[in-house]
Amino acid sequence: MVAGPVEFSTFQAGVGRAAVLVMLAIAPFVNNQLYFIHVMGLAMIAAIAALGMQLLIGCSGQLSMGQAAFFGIGAYTSGILTKDYGVPFPVAFVAAGLIAAISSLALAPITRLRDVYLAVATLGFTVIVFLILLNTEWLTGGSFGLMGIPRPSIGSISLSERGIYFLCFAVMVLIYFTFNRLVDSRFGRGLQAIMLDEDAAWSSGINVTLYKSKCFVIAAMVTGFAGSLFAAQVRYLNPDDFSFWKSIEILLMVAVGGIGSMTGAIVGAFVVVLLPEYLRAVDQWRLVIFGALLVLFMGLGKGGIAGFVSLTLGRATTILERKSRGLIGRKGVSQ
Amino acid sequence: MRFDQFVELAVGGFATGAIYGLIGLGFSMIIRATGILHFAQGEVMMLGAMFGWMTVTWVPLPFVAVLIVGMMFSGLAASALYLAIYRTMYVRDVPLMNIVIGTIGMSILLQNVSMLIWGSEPLAYPKFFAIETYRLGPVHLSPQLVWVFSLGFGLMLLLQAFLAFTRMGIALKASAQDPETAQLMGVNLTRSTTLTFAISGMMAGAAGVLLGSMFFASFNMGFLTGIKAFVAATLGGVGSIGGAMLGGVIFGLIETFSPQWISSGYRDAVGMVLLILILLVLPQGLVGLFARRR
Repeated sequence: MVAGPVEFSTFQAGVGRAAVLVMLAIAPFVNNQLYFIHVMGLAMIAAIAALGMQLLIGCSGQLSMGQAAFFGIGAYTSGILTKDYGVPFPVAFVAAGLIAAISSLALAPITRLRDVYLAVATLGFTVIVFLILLNTEWLTGGSFGLMGIPRPSIGSISLSERGIYFLCFAVMVLIYFTFNRLVDSRFGRGLQAIMLDEDAAWSSGINVTLYKSKCFVIAAMVTGFAGSLFAAQVRYLNPDDFSFWKSIEILLMVAVGGIGSMTGAIVGAFVVVLLPEYLRAVDQWRLVIFGALLVLFMGLGKGGIAGFVSLTLGRATTILERKSRGLIGRKGVSQ
Repeated sequence: MRFDQFVELAVGGFATGAIYGLIGLGFSMIIRATGILHFAQGEVMMLGAMFGWMTVTWVPLPFVAVLIVGMMFSGLAASALYLAIYRTMYVRDVPLMNIVIGTIGMSILLQNVSMLIWGSEPLAYPKFFAIETYRLGPVHLSPQLVWVFSLGFGLMLLLQAFLAFTRMGIALKASAQDPETAQLMGVNLTRSTTLTFAISGMMAGAAGVLLGSMFFASFNMGFLTGIKAFVAATLGGVGSIGGAMLGGVIFGLIETFSPQWISSGYRDAVGMVLLILILLVLPQGLVGLFARRR
C-alpha cells in the first residue's frame, strides 16, 4: 500500500465507475427527503473541488492549501453576479470558473516553489482572500454574509433541489471524465514525470513551470465551478465557509480517498461530507476522529480508501487466478 | 505618532516578535533535521500554555517556574509525537509529503482533544507582573512586555550557546546538516532527532506560557500563531537561529504597526503578502541576503 500511485485494472475501474454512476443517478428517487438530496449535492460539490485538488497533489505533486480561496472566489463571483446584477446562472457559472482561474494566474509564479513552501504560500493566499471577503463589506456583505442569492435557472426552467442535484452530478461526472482523459494525455504523462523527478523531467524537455502552472490554473477553475454550484445550492455565503479550514478539509478528502486516484477523490469527498451526518451523536468527537483518520491514512501510505480497495481486489484476483489455474491445470491459459 | 507612543508600540512588537521567534525556531530546527514542516508546532505551543495554566492554578509558583514547567511538558509532548507518530511513519517509508499532511491531522487532533479536556472558553492566567509601568524618561514600559521580551530572547541565546558549545549541540547541528555522515561519526540519529523535537517543543512551550500570560490560553490559540511564526522564520531564513529571531522581531513589529497605517482588518494579510514575496524573491530569507554578500 505504501508504493506508488493507485492502479486499477481497466475492467475493475469500469465496473466501479458504472456502479457508482448508477447509484448516484437513482439516489434522489430512492430517498426522497429534501435534506438528503441537499447533503448529497453538497458532497458532489465537494467532490468537484477534491478532483481539482487531486489534479494538483496526485498528478503533479503540488501540495496546495489554497483551494478554499478559489472555492470562495468562485462562490462569491457567482453569488454577486446572480444576485446584484441579475446575470443568468449559466453565465455566472462560467464567469466563476474564469475569475478563479484568472486569480490563480496571478499566483502562477509561486508554482515555482516546492513542497512545503508552496503549501505555506498558498495557505497565505487563502488567509488573504478570506480577509478580503470579510472586509470588503460593500461587495461581499462582510461577516453578515451574502444573503438572498436567487434560485438558479437554466433558460426559463428554475431548478428545484433535485434539479440542482443533477446539475452538480452532471458537472462532477463531466470533470471526472475530462480529468481521466487529461491524466492519460501527453500533458498528464508530463505531469507524472514532474512528480517522479522534477529535474529529470526538466532535462527531458518538459517545461516544468509551465506544466505546473497550467495544472494550478485548471484546478483553480474547477474549484471555481464548484464554488459557483455551492452558491447556487446554499444561496447564502459567509466568509467563514472559505477559511483555511476549508482548504484542509479539501486536502483531507483527497488524503482519505487516496492520493493519485480520481475515483478516490470523489469517494473521499463523500466520506468527509457524509460522515459528520452520521456522527451527529458524537458531534464534539467529529474533528478528533477526522484528525485521527488523517494521521492514520497518511501513515498507511498514499493509497487511502482507493488504495485499500485496489489492494484487496488485486489480492482477490490473484487468489481467483491461482484457483482457476489449479482447476484448469497445465493446459490452462498461459499467463 | 509621538515618540513615546512609538517606543511603547515597538516594545510590544519586540515582545510578540520574541514569541514568534521561539515558535519559528522550532519550525526551522525540525525542518532542517527532518524536512518535515511540523504543522502541529502551534498546538505544542498551546499545550505548553495549557500545562502552564494548570500548574499555576494548582500551585501559585513564580513566573519563571511556570515557564519551566510549560517548557518541560511541551518538550515531552513534542518528542512523544515524534517517537510515536512521525518516526513510525518514517520507518514505514511513507513519502515525506504524507508525513507533512499527517502533522496537519495531528494538529486538528490535538486542538480538539484539548477542547474536550479544557473546554472552549479561554483560560486567564493570574497577573504575574506589576501593573505599574517602568518609566524611562517620557516612555512608559509595561513590565510584562519587557519580561516577555527579555525571557524570550534569553532563551534563544541559551539555545544558541547550547548548539555552539556543547558536544550534544554540535551533534545536533551535524545531524541536521548531513544525517548520514553524522551517523557514520557515531551520532545516534534517532536520539538526536528526538532531542531536536524536544528542544523545539520546549521553545514552543515557553512561547505558549509567555503568550498565555499576555492574553489567554485557549484550545485554538495555536494554529494561526504557528503559521505566522513559520512565516516569521521564513522571513528571517529557515535554518538559522539568528534568522528566526530576526524574522520574529520584524514580523512582530509589522503586526504591531500595520493597524496604525493600514486597516486593522488586514493585519494578518500584510504578513502573508510579505511571506509570498519573500518566498519568491528571496527563498533563503533575510539571512540569505548577508550570506550571499559574504
